[in-house]
Amino acid sequence: MDREQEKLILKQHIIKYLNLLHVTPEEITDDMPMFREGLGLDSIDSIEMVVMMEREYGLKIENPKDGREILQTINSMMDFIEKGRAAKAAEEKA
Amino acid sequence: MSKIVVTGIGIISPIGNSVAENRAALQAGKSGLTSLELFATRYATLLKFGEIKITNEDFKQQLGVTTKGVTRTTLLALYAFVQAIEDRGFTNEELQSSDTALINGNTIGGMSESENLYLDANKNEVGSEYISSYNLGTVNMYIQQRYKIGGVVNTFNTACSSSANAIAYGARLIKNGFAKRAIVGGTDSLAKFTINGFNSLGILSSSLCKPFDAERSGLNLGEGAAFLVLEKEEDAKGKKIYAEVSGWANTNDAFHPSSLSDNGDGPYLAMKEALEIAKLKPEKIGFVNAHGTATENNDEKESVAMKRLFEKVPAFASTKSNTGHTLGAAGAIEAVFCILNLMHQEVYANLRFEKTIETTGLTPVTEYTKMNLEHVMSNSFGFGGNCSSLIFSKV
Amino acid sequence: MFYIHQSSCISHQPTFNEVDLEDLKPIENNLVHAIEPKYENVPLGQLRRMGRALRMGVGTCMKLLGTNKVDGLLIGTANGGIEDSIMFLNQIHDYEEGRLTPTAFVQSTYNAIAGMVGMITVNHGYNATHVHRGHAFENVALDAAMLLKENPDNCYLIGGVDEISVKNHRLVSLAGWYRHDNVSNADLYKGIAPGTLPGEGSAMFIVNNKSDNAKAKLTSLRMVNSFDENVVKEQLNLFLKDNPGKIDLFLQGENGDNRLLKYYTACEGLMTNETTAARFKHAFGEFQTVSALAVWLANYVLQNQKLPEHFIKKNSTTEFKRILIYNNYQGAQHSFMLVERVK
Repeated sequence: MDREQEKLILKQHIIKYLNLLHVTPEEITDDMPMFREGLGLDSIDSIEMVVMMEREYGLKIENPKDGREILQTINSMMDFIEKGRAAKAAEEKA
Repeated sequence: MSKIVVTGIGIISPIGNSVAENRAALQAGKSGLTSLELFATRYATLLKFGEIKITNEDFKQQLGVTTKGVTRTTLLALYAFVQAIEDRGFTNEELQSSDTALINGNTIGGMSESENLYLDANKNEVGSEYISSYNLGTVNMYIQQRYKIGGVVNTFNTACSSSANAIAYGARLIKNGFAKRAIVGGTDSLAKFTINGFNSLGILSSSLCKPFDAERSGLNLGEGAAFLVLEKEEDAKGKKIYAEVSGWANTNDAFHPSSLSDNGDGPYLAMKEALEIAKLKPEKIGFVNAHGTATENNDEKESVAMKRLFEKVPAFASTKSNTGHTLGAAGAIEAVFCILNLMHQEVYANLRFEKTIETTGLTPVTEYTKMNLEHVMSNSFGFGGNCSSLIFSKV
Repeated sequence: MFYIHQSSCISHQPTFNEVDLEDLKPIENNLVHAIEPKYENVPLGQLRRMGRALRMGVGTCMKLLGTNKVDGLLIGTANGGIEDSIMFLNQIHDYEEGRLTPTAFVQSTYNAIAGMVGMITVNHGYNATHVHRGHAFENVALDAAMLLKENPDNCYLIGGVDEISVKNHRLVSLAGWYRHDNVSNADLYKGIAPGTLPGEGSAMFIVNNKSDNAKAKLTSLRMVNSFDENVVKEQLNLFLKDNPGKIDLFLQGENGDNRLLKYYTACEGLMTNETTAARFKHAFGEFQTVSALAVWLANYVLQNQKLPEHFIKKNSTTEFKRILIYNNYQGAQHSFMLVERVK
């Protein structure tokens, strides 16, 4: 699956977990800020997204401060997912 | 205007089963925070809890409870209620009178029976013995029925400020002529539901909580109950009077469902309005029993609010360092502690404090201290922006 | 006590926008479900994570607060977000207490309704949630009456809301309070069986001390805690003595449960032939805060001077000036409320 398809799936997960009625994946742009402005999410949503990362991608975000950086935009989340996948693949090879 | 005074108190908390035991523990700087022993949860040894080490069966025996479906939340309340009414010495006639009110605050009700609730809601074909007990109102319903309380009966749920609001409501019922006496308080018991709820928000600490400390890492949940008997001073002739309930306020922070605003608006307004009711200037407050949950958000914002209100922040401490956060019971349990402050002219240590919060620089009381006190304030701030503040005064 | 100025209501009947009480809407599956409208003044960003009770409660509040400012908010709800509570509990079970999503927990808290409205309207005033079963709304009314004594120039938003919720329905049903046979709401009062029909809804009011432009007045209120119908009757007697005058409409909360008929029979026995008797739970269903909807209905009757036929049990007067509401919840919490027309 390429990065564009992965992004679409990520946006669909976000919409589902946060029950974002009336928001389509197309309306969530890649560099749109998730919190306060942009999509206007809050701290409860950030926790929901941490759970989403664990349940959907098997990736844990232990430190809330790391969480803020990782969850900032679609692009930052994609980078985190791709890094996580690469690390898992390297582990499995070893 | 008549003073509303406290003529009976009852308490059970993680640091003692009576007023005397609680005072002794506070004086000695003892905390009741341990691993969880009485029910199974993944977090039993991972987190710290203020658990009362008495089983439900033991409570039922001690309290003569034979009815089915009485939950731990009710048992704790009953324990404290009985102490309070025996302390005041009521006749049956007085309890059953239509001008005796019974008000409590709690947040878990019978949902402390988390396993049974799960089964009843999802699987059971026949309801368990707790099928009618989950509702928050069942606590006071049980007490009202057992003692035939004849007046207004009510239950508040404004999260962690529930029993502070119960106390204020009782005082106001008397002041406005809807009751002659009010038995007011709060209760909450530890439950899988609340443990997991708070844990999902990432605000529970795996170590002993450190209110107002720069390195604080969250709260420890606790359980307990306390009740006060309130009446007008002139109706209390010949009775022991502990203190006056001189001020109260309920405001809303209006910022976020589970955290306080940057300027601590709700807490600031609650403290300010309680002073207005008490007709006191801020400098008259000798000591503040702070909400002080040891979460990053609360302790900083409460400090900000205190600095906004008080030119010189009075001595303050959080007794949650001893008991943990008893949620719906906190307002009432901490009211009893404020009464102890006034009765014995002393304040107790905020345990495990080492370093001030950088942005606010406030230091709580760190040792048991004898202190001249006329007026003591107690803060309770909860989810939903619900902020309450009470003031107790020496009589 | 206080004057009622504005009101809003969500119920099984169309009551939120155009009110239509003439034709009793039928029910399905023994559930007196409320009609959820398109909500005004509720930010989508907040609406998205609200459960049903929260939506109905916040929706009825915000209908009134779009243009009105109030000094405080008082909500009665005996179940809060029970559906969300059980959803969270199920998560605990399904994920074996692992990493859980917090929204259901936060939104299940009983004070979420009053808290959310406070947040949306940035209202720093008094904010209370009363949850005592069949007296949740009555304590809201009493609390508001006291606030208005203490702050005579203020005004408050008050009301009550509860939802049916799939899981809560199961609990109350297992406890034996609902009819198991198929019942039409039009036949509710045949009183042939134990059990009633569950309902849900929300009614909110803006109240203050000013009679100018007021729609109605809640003059008096009394709560009784007893299972003894003689005690309830005696208390009603005292209430009537304290509030002398002709009662035009006795609006009572009979719900078809044959175990509870005795209370309504006892109280109706104190009414005269000049009093019209009417019932409302066939239209609204049974739930702890339905008395808030009864007040809304009383207000409607006083405004419109009519009550559709299907509400009426015994006809008498044609002019409605003083309405006595009597309700009880499971025979445990009883209340009397006197609602009067403002000249």
